[in-house]
Amino acid sequence: MKFTPVLLFAAVSLSLLAGCGRSPDPAASAGSAAAAGPVIALVPKTLNNPFFIDMQRGAEEAARAAGVTLVVQAAERETDVERQMQIIENLIQRKVSALILAPSGSREIVPVVLKANQADIPVLIVDTRLDAAALQASGGKTVTFIGSDNHEGGKIAGQFAVERLGGQGRVAVLEGIAGHETGDARVRGFREALRGHPGITIVASQPANWERDQGYTVFQNILQANPTVNALFAANDLMALGAVEAIAAAGKTGKVTVIGFDAQDEARAAVKAGKMAATIAQNPALMGRTAVERAVALLKGEPVPADIGVSIELVK
Amino acid sequence: MTLPRFLVANARQAGTVAVFLVLCLVLSVLTPHFLTTSNLLNVAQQTVINAVIAVGLTYVILSGGIDLSVGSVLALAGVVLALALQAGWPVPLAIGACLVVGAACGTVNGLLVAFGRLPPFIATLGLMSVARGGALLVTDGRPVSGFDASFRWLATGEVLGIPVPVWCMLAVYGVAHFVLKRTKFGRYVVAIGGNEEASLLSGVPVAACKVGIYALGGGLAAAASVLLTARLNSAQPIAGLSYELDAIAATVIGGTSLMGGQGSVFGTLVGALIMGVLRNGLNLLGVSSYVQQVVIGAVIIAAVLLDTVFKGSKR
Amino acid sequence: MRGIAKRYPGVVALDGVDLEVRRGEVHVLLGENGAGKSTLMKVLAGAVRRDAGEVRIDGEAVALGDPRAAQRAGVSIIYQEFNLVPHLSVADNLYLGREPRGAWPGLIDQKTMVRDASRQLAALGVSIDPQARVADLGVAEQQMVEVAKALSIDARILVMDEPTSALTEQEIERLFTVIRSLRARGVAVIYISHRMEELFQIGDRVTVMRDGRHVGTRVLADCTMDELVRLMVGRALTEQFPARTARQGEEALRVEGLCRRGVLHDISFSLRRGEVVGLAGLMGSGRTELARAIFGADPIDAGRIWLRGRAVTIRSPRQAIREGLGFLTEDRKRQGLVLCRDIEENTSLAHLDRFTRAGVLSPRRAAETAGRLTTELRVKTPGLGQRVVNLSGGNQQKVVLAKWLCREADVLIFDEPTRGIDVGAKAEIYQLIQRLAGEGRAILMISSELPEILGLSDRILVMHRGHLAGEFRGGEVTPEQLLHCALGSPPAP
Repeated sequence: MKFTPVLLFAAVSLSLLAGCGRSPDPAASAGSAAAAGPVIALVPKTLNNPFFIDMQRGAEEAARAAGVTLVVQAAERETDVERQMQIIENLIQRKVSALILAPSGSREIVPVVLKANQADIPVLIVDTRLDAAALQASGGKTVTFIGSDNHEGGKIAGQFAVERLGGQGRVAVLEGIAGHETGDARVRGFREALRGHPGITIVASQPANWERDQGYTVFQNILQANPTVNALFAANDLMALGAVEAIAAAGKTGKVTVIGFDAQDEARAAVKAGKMAATIAQNPALMGRTAVERAVALLKGEPVPADIGVSIELVK
Repeated sequence: MTLPRFLVANARQAGTVAVFLVLCLVLSVLTPHFLTTSNLLNVAQQTVINAVIAVGLTYVILSGGIDLSVGSVLALAGVVLALALQAGWPVPLAIGACLVVGAACGTVNGLLVAFGRLPPFIATLGLMSVARGGALLVTDGRPVSGFDASFRWLATGEVLGIPVPVWCMLAVYGVAHFVLKRTKFGRYVVAIGGNEEASLLSGVPVAACKVGIYALGGGLAAAASVLLTARLNSAQPIAGLSYELDAIAATVIGGTSLMGGQGSVFGTLVGALIMGVLRNGLNLLGVSSYVQQVVIGAVIIAAVLLDTVFKGSKR
Repeated sequence: MRGIAKRYPGVVALDGVDLEVRRGEVHVLLGENGAGKSTLMKVLAGAVRRDAGEVRIDGEAVALGDPRAAQRAGVSIIYQEFNLVPHLSVADNLYLGREPRGAWPGLIDQKTMVRDASRQLAALGVSIDPQARVADLGVAEQQMVEVAKALSIDARILVMDEPTSALTEQEIERLFTVIRSLRARGVAVIYISHRMEELFQIGDRVTVMRDGRHVGTRVLADCTMDELVRLMVGRALTEQFPARTARQGEEALRVEGLCRRGVLHDISFSLRRGEVVGLAGLMGSGRTELARAIFGADPIDAGRIWLRGRAVTIRSPRQAIREGLGFLTEDRKRQGLVLCRDIEENTSLAHLDRFTRAGVLSPRRAAETAGRLTTELRVKTPGLGQRVVNLSGGNQQKVVLAKWLCREADVLIFDEPTRGIDVGAKAEIYQLIQRLAGEGRAILMISSELPEILGLSDRILVMHRGHLAGEFRGGEVTPEQLLHCALGSPPAP
């Protein structure tokens, strides 16, 4: 009698897992048939963010074109480095042929890059650079970095702001999670562009941790403290879109110049509708596509440049 | 006590163990990568952090409480450790400071619960935010990275072919099991969880025990932060978000009753292993991240449901 | 009910029991603890599923799959532990789960509910405010609420499990009046009680159970108490109260001027070694509160306590225990036992020091002691690893006793030591109290059962509204005198 539930559980978990194993996901089909050609793994920071979903889409297209198998796995939280590390460790166990990684932590993820090196799995970094010093200290190696220059993107956003404000204005900044190279670089670039324009002051610069709801509340608070703010730079679109709602709620739509980053579909639509002034297009799909193409080339023994820029453009 | 007899004596744990074994069996059928020495060590290593936090939660939950602050305490203790190391403190001293910070946070929880008469949920919810804020404050929100190899040995070292963190986890479990089964404190923990009033009237120092229990929970969260910091070679103030939920899940899967009074340390280890194996297996199978979350949630529910069915059949 | 059987792992709780109850009769169900009465009633209530047998109500076979089905079939049970929600009002409790619908679905028609509730209560002849919070009511009033609740669902069969265990004589009388009127209305009442005198007052027929079997059914008017006791225990019971043999020694406990605002007023008394002092009084007279105050469970405002001639300040139960006090609480489930843990853990809880060396517990030694004590107290259990929740009431009480015997306390306070316990176990506990006194311990025994107080005590203290209202020597006082003292009225000349 007491083993009945256990057997039941066994049956359920078997069918569940077997179901997963058979899922139409092209990635999964390689799960048990390891011999079917090279398997390339893509580990974005998360799959809750449209940016990385676009990256996945680009990567999938390239994989299909090249006839290789692509596995995409990500942590639930963009900030959960430990989980990303586990995923990579597990992929190393699976003996993937190449690893494309968007690091959740520029320094924290270095130890697992080392592990991939030891397992002779080439590592291609996308979107966010590894901390050069940490990588060098550990002796780890990566094949290439594929991404856009966030610093440059921030600068473009800053120049646009100066132009739009006509050299006079009170600006707020929504930062990403503190200590993230991506966000820091964008904000640095933005500030740089504003330098030399004494008519423009940054009245508030607060982290909203990449998230839409925090973008809303943080900017709402900024508006309370500085009702005269007339421009906002958010280090990603999610925070910018949150802020747009806060502006609407305050009845100030159109009075604040909102500049985002990433050029997600929704942000592009907001720009068209006039709710946002501009966003910076990073083209994550191109990043994903390029990364897979380069990985395939690498596996064929072709040389790959150490730094591959992906173009940035202003969408306004 | 032989293993079969041990299992019979702990029928509830036998159920959890059976679930675990079935899961392993299923995974080894589905993927050739699962049942390899390196992967099993890999799973063990990945389970360590959750498992160590879950021991502390097992004590707290056994006593009829709950601790939501462990994830934040882990972050705070971790950054303290990292800052101490970077300030040039010797490794044992820095680890000591980290554990003290964790235990101190737990002590605050315990004092609030035992003497402030706050519901544990509220007290630890408050401290969850306080500790997180503290961690962000002392680091200015930035990760603290880069440590000596001597410290990183805690994550990278091996003894007898088994990684050091796994040894640490086994040691923690050994001690925790012993304390629960063979010391007054352990007895008091389950007695308080089973019936606080009766325990008080039997002369159990309930308040002091509660403070001890929460201090232990905080201390173990700090111990987990040592291992996590060594593993990532960095301490992040935003580390450990929602780790308390993973640890609660491991504890409950392991058969500890959320009402308190019933459960075991051994069960929690198996619970943590089930979660670790599941995540590992789903990664190996290449299951999509979205489906993984569904499956993990379903397994948590199924395991606890199984427990209810199991107990129901005995009634 | 015919051939009802229920098996638990290792125990046959019911072994083909038959029970036939007629309309308009009070049918008493009698048996020692663990005889299977409660299980049988749980089957009737749909709370426990039977393994075999059938139940017919008004000639119709009923399934009784769950409590709701039983309710629909007209069965209502009042358990020993009340099923009331303490923080809701009386009316809310009466109509819990079937509130009259208000203007909108999901809303409650409060007015109708309160009106119906007060009508129900009035029909019982009790004056309880339907809007009062249940937690604020006395035990007897809560009992009445339970009865009203049972009747409000048109119960045709009403089961009452130990309804009088917490009531005073007057309240019992009122309850009996209510029961008689129910009988007149054609309700079949199944009445479970251990108080033999009551059965003859209220019961029509009696069914005796022993060890999960039906032993016999008798018409109460035609049988004697001795006969019933013989049926219950399967053996003739010797003298219920053992002879007092203990020799009194020096003073063990002295209390002077003990006060707790609003609860205890200037209480002074002493207790000698080898002495059994009974503490009588009505519910709410402050007996339990006195015990708790001495034991350090509640703070005191004034007063001093001496133990073995030494003045002590007791701030916590832990300290009281160190000073050699032991306290058997009246509510063993809530205050006495850790129900979800096993016998060994419960018996050793108050005295783990005894089984630890260098901080390490020796489960073997704890088990040895627990084993010795449970054998000595004749606890019926398959083993020490048995969780206490699975034991019958009498056996649970013995486990609580074992806890304090394990501790070897000098001064023992027993609060209602025989509540809800069958005759056989009662006699054992009486003998034990005598034996403990014989070993030179001082015993303060709180009891609501006058025969118990009269039969066991060397001295009797009576409390009335927080005051010590009288002191008598055992054997020199009549029950009437005690009762008058407890009621605060001067004895009739």
